[in-house]
Amino acid sequence: MTPVIEAEGLRKVYRSRFGTRHVNALDGIDLSVGAGEVFGLLGPNGAGKTTTVKILLGLTRPTAGGARLFGIPVSDPESRRRVGYLPEGHRFPGYLTARQTLSIFGRMSGMARSAVAALIPELLARVRLSDWADVKVKKFSKGMTQRLGLAAALVHDPDVLLLDEPTDGVDPVGRREIRDLLRDEASRGRAILLNSHLLSEIELTCDRVAVLRRGRVAAQGRIADLTAQGSRYRMTASPVDETLLAAFRDTGASVERVNGHIVLGTRDLAHLNSLVDALRARGALLTELSPVRSTLEDVFVDLVRTGEGEEKTQ
Amino acid sequence: MRAWAASVEEVFREASARWTLLAYFALSTLFIVIFALAVNLDIVDGALAGAKLFGKEMDIGGEKIDLDQIVLGFETGFSGFLYGLGTFLALFATAHLVPRLQEKGTIDLYLSRPVGRTKLLLSRYSGGLLLAAANLLYLIGSIWLIVFWKTGVAHPRFLLGGVVILFTVACLVAFAFLIGVVTSSTAVSLMVTYAIFFFAVLLSARDRIAAAVSSEFSANLIKGLYWVFPKTAELGQATIALVSNGAHGVGLAHPFAVYGSTALFGLVSLALASWRFSRKDF
Repeated sequence: MTPVIEAEGLRKVYRSRFGTRHVNALDGIDLSVGAGEVFGLLGPNGAGKTTTVKILLGLTRPTAGGARLFGIPVSDPESRRRVGYLPEGHRFPGYLTARQTLSIFGRMSGMARSAVAALIPELLARVRLSDWADVKVKKFSKGMTQRLGLAAALVHDPDVLLLDEPTDGVDPVGRREIRDLLRDEASRGRAILLNSHLLSEIELTCDRVAVLRRGRVAAQGRIADLTAQGSRYRMTASPVDETLLAAFRDTGASVERVNGHIVLGTRDLAHLNSLVDALRARGALLTELSPVRSTLEDVFVDLVRTGEGEEKTQ
Repeated sequence: MRAWAASVEEVFREASARWTLLAYFALSTLFIVIFALAVNLDIVDGALAGAKLFGKEMDIGGEKIDLDQIVLGFETGFSGFLYGLGTFLALFATAHLVPRLQEKGTIDLYLSRPVGRTKLLLSRYSGGLLLAAANLLYLIGSIWLIVFWKTGVAHPRFLLGGVVILFTVACLVAFAFLIGVVTSSTAVSLMVTYAIFFFAVLLSARDRIAAAVSSEFSANLIKGLYWVFPKTAELGQATIALVSNGAHGVGLAHPFAVYGSTALFGLVSLALASWRFSRKDF
């Protein structure tokens, strides 16, 4: 997959006004997001998520390293021609209506007035704001403003979407609609970089994630890979008696009964298969066997706590 | 061009929504209406035979006065007043354009578009200037039309006075933009620009001030500062001179230096504002 968003060795040091103090906001970030991919950026407050996005948009300059969009360095405004951005806590001018907002920001992205005007009704319908097209933005609720922000990010039909907390303040139904919309955009080949605190949202929407911790990538990969717990499996079979479980333990496997099923810890796949053979040899019927997964939240909390532990021991 | 037009349109929408534009035009209209209703002239054979101000008869000595001279005198005096009023109103209406743009949550929306930062800043600047020019045209044009309607005398030079006012506004707004980029504060931007306006007026008496100070260094500093700052006093004189007799430089020792150094002040301010804005981390 050709990467449309690339970052290599991104570093950002914020210095105080007189240079007496400094903070390493980013400490060597590498990222790569391909077309049609939904990529999640996770991390606790101050991990460097927003700084990363701001560097990708040329809002902030990196201290070292570089980033490119479509192969164009982010310092070139042209790199943003095909980018839609929804910032966190954005403030559209309250004196504009939804229609005027989309018209102005569409034209600032190089679209002709007539082309934007023709596109606006469809775009407002996609974010359920058709009835509010000519109402001033200052009268919008938080969720409506967020949906308008999404429409403004999409107005010039970009190939990359950078979204910072897109479901912030949106009700559950609206969140689901935004999730569906993002999946739909990804299926059209758009690359999406999603920055969110809502791990359940990320889990439901993203293909891959990177967890940032103190300006570094603590973990990166497919959600399925990050949440898989190595060699732990959930087994449901009957009949399973204590003699069978003792036989499993004798092979070196860890065995637990949990809510009517058995959680097995094995050395490897061969070990797991030998346990299945032993089960069937005793006439038991296997009805379910699946790898045990953690939630993304478990992985995230583990990574953040591990980092805090390492810092305390230093 | 599309991005520039969108940015300029937004400046006008913002001005109208914030009541700035409305207040700007309402004040001008009020002034124009008062002027139109207050002055009643009795013209006989192209000369002024009598005049009423707010309904009261004015004593003109019982003689017929050349109307052309009366109108010229009025327009000359009035252009000086408009120089101050127009400059102050224009600064008031445009000083917020950069601080508002740089607000958290707003700047990201603009800079994430494929528009260079210098271009974005200059589009706001040109929007502000167009706003100021529209009001000057309305104010000066209306007064000129009323004078023409009441007297039948038309002096195009009165309209040209607006060009010098707009030139002054352009230089001062550039400086207000620089302060706005650095401080992100409308209040500071306005205060510093007004202070520069008055300080520059004081510096027009540089020779007398230099003679009064004790050290040579201070005297040279004052003379040096005079050439750094815009020539607000001299440009006011130039506006009056242009309207009264069509001369750009009447009363000015170095007319080209006055216009040139003020233009340089504006250009350097705008260049510094663009440079700082394009290097700023948001």
